[in-house]
Amino acid sequence: MTMTDVNTTAREIGRRSFVARAIAAIHTVIGATIAFIVGGTTLAPSFTRREASWLRAGSIDALPDNQPVAVALRVMRQDGYSQVVDRTLVYLVKTGEQDVRVLQSRCTHLGCQTSYDRRAKRIVCPCHGGVFDLQGNVMEGPPPAPLPTLQARVENGEVMVQI
Amino acid sequence: MLRGVFDWIDSRTGYRAALHHLLDEPLPAGTGWIFTTGSIVLFLLGVQIVSGVGLSMYYVPAPALAYDSVRYITDTLTLGWLLRGLHFWGSTFIVLAATIHLLRVFFLGSYKAPREVTWLTGVVMFLLILAFALSGYLLPWDQKAYWATTVTINIARGTPLVGEQVADVMRGGAQLGALTLGRWYTAHVFLLPAALILFVVAHITLMRRHGISGPIAPKDGPRRAFYPWHAIKDTLMMAAVFALLLVFAANFPAHLDEIANPADASYVPRPEWYFLSLFELLKYFPGPWEPVATMVIPGLVVGFLLALPFLDRGPDRHPFRGRRLLFTLAMVVLASGILVMTALGLADLPTKYDPNDWGPRAVAGHLIVSAPDNKCVTCHVTGGPAADLAATRITKDEEWLLAHMSDPVAIAPGVRTEDDPAPPAQMTRFQAQSVLAYLRRTRAGAIPPELTEDERIASVTFAGMCVGCHKIAGEGGESGPDLSRVGARRDAAAIRRIVKDPTTEFPDSLMPPFGERLTEQQLSALVNYLSARR
Repeated sequence: MTMTDVNTTAREIGRRSFVARAIAAIHTVIGATIAFIVGGTTLAPSFTRREASWLRAGSIDALPDNQPVAVALRVMRQDGYSQVVDRTLVYLVKTGEQDVRVLQSRCTHLGCQTSYDRRAKRIVCPCHGGVFDLQGNVMEGPPPAPLPTLQARVENGEVMVQI
Repeated sequence: MLRGVFDWIDSRTGYRAALHHLLDEPLPAGTGWIFTTGSIVLFLLGVQIVSGVGLSMYYVPAPALAYDSVRYITDTLTLGWLLRGLHFWGSTFIVLAATIHLLRVFFLGSYKAPREVTWLTGVVMFLLILAFALSGYLLPWDQKAYWATTVTINIARGTPLVGEQVADVMRGGAQLGALTLGRWYTAHVFLLPAALILFVVAHITLMRRHGISGPIAPKDGPRRAFYPWHAIKDTLMMAAVFALLLVFAANFPAHLDEIANPADASYVPRPEWYFLSLFELLKYFPGPWEPVATMVIPGLVVGFLLALPFLDRGPDRHPFRGRRLLFTLAMVVLASGILVMTALGLADLPTKYDPNDWGPRAVAGHLIVSAPDNKCVTCHVTGGPAADLAATRITKDEEWLLAHMSDPVAIAPGVRTEDDPAPPAQMTRFQAQSVLAYLRRTRAGAIPPELTEDERIASVTFAGMCVGCHKIAGEGGESGPDLSRVGARRDAAAIRRIVKDPTTEFPDSLMPPFGERLTEQQLSALVNYLSARR
């Protein structure tokens, strides 16, 4: 083998590996683009959060002072390409002329539906004896956390609750 | 370290030898760019499969949800519009690429012995690709999907002797509906892909068995390996085609008509360009001659393609030499015929549906739902028991919706009895139809136009009195002429005369005179509106 042959072979190997790398690079770009589009559409809904909406929950004048009133809120919600009606029961507690505290009504222990005990002035859970005060604080029983408070405001005498 | 891992995998699987067999096939000298057409079809097929899988994650093959799921993909899903655009344009690209590949194989005489079976599998794959395009059509369940499929099934009904049975099988019953959608979906995502993949494997195996045909006149020179010397050409072509596909998908997103309305038999679907030649051909064979256009001629074309390698058996691959000239001429005539028919079809397409052309009925519907005393918002309001009208879906048939708008509390049309009579109707049937026209428009993504007072009066008048017989912008009856472009045919004075008393222009007209029934304000608003429609 002469020196020229060796040089030619070396050049050929160099060209071959350059072309092979170009092929790999182009396929990587095409593949990444497709993966970005298909992967994007696959993952996007997993990271989209539901938009909050303000719901009318009745007139503030109808509420007694410092006494929870259970109100069912029905809200139409987008479920992907479908629509469903969610029903949530909340307690409205009138705490002032224009102030309302809104508590979720599901027990924080295992999710049972609580109810208001008028005589004891407590919110009680029938399942395992959880008891909450009118601020939602745990007074007795197994619930690990207070009843969550929802954002609320009063607009033209109407109580608006954020879900 | 990494090398050690690959060595171990190779020792257990022998993948390097398999790769060597797959990639290092020596190709004839002079195998140029023109031999990349097959790889491009294969590449586009891959794009269709991957994008199709992405779409199938959201698509629902049921009439009540199909349209909304496609709407969701197009409007709401992040990058969904691009994914759908890719799949939509991919179908056009793959039909085009398969045609080019077929013509390449034909003109270079690559179908000749020993490659006859390779050619046959290719022809079958071409038909499978067309079947894909056809079955994908119905899935969005919009007006175009519904009515184009109705036409397809009507064509199949023309099959001699067993036409009705064929149509029943295609529909899954006597009517186009939920069962039709289910079987076309299964064909599109399970049966056809399985068949196509099987044929692709056979096609490539046969291609490897006989080797690539190479240039017509064998060239001197060393045979070079497929990888990387031809693979780079394939790769560069794929990159170019993919870039072009992305440009189309991004700039011309896939269209979605209004939701399918089985009650509107007047919709004229526009076929996709690759079926346009057949659509045009139909016009030349009316009535009893129809099967000539739908069966005989397409059958002859497919028969010619299938028989080609057995008719043209000489060894000469040159397209213009000896007996081959005859076949080349036949192919040129065939290709030009298809081109001419496609061009004629393009020149004579039915008017494209334009969701932004708000006809008077949709406008009247918009006025009803945006009026201050609109009763729909009692329930249809954000946070209410029913979806806001801007977001509401059309999941019920027309009759249900019209009954609902007249008597919103009734659970279904016809459930009221003598003991439980319907309350006074909330809307007349005409008004409810207007609201429905409005809902279909907004659901199709159109935004209500800004209107003058005159246009409002004209729209309400038309939607209340004229729409039963006359059509504008695709909505209305058919017993009278379509008035979408009436301003181009008649001037304002003539329109006024006809509306007041049609017999002044058409002595035999069945249309009642409206001179007495319209106020002067209504009449002049209507005349101005109609004469402006050109």
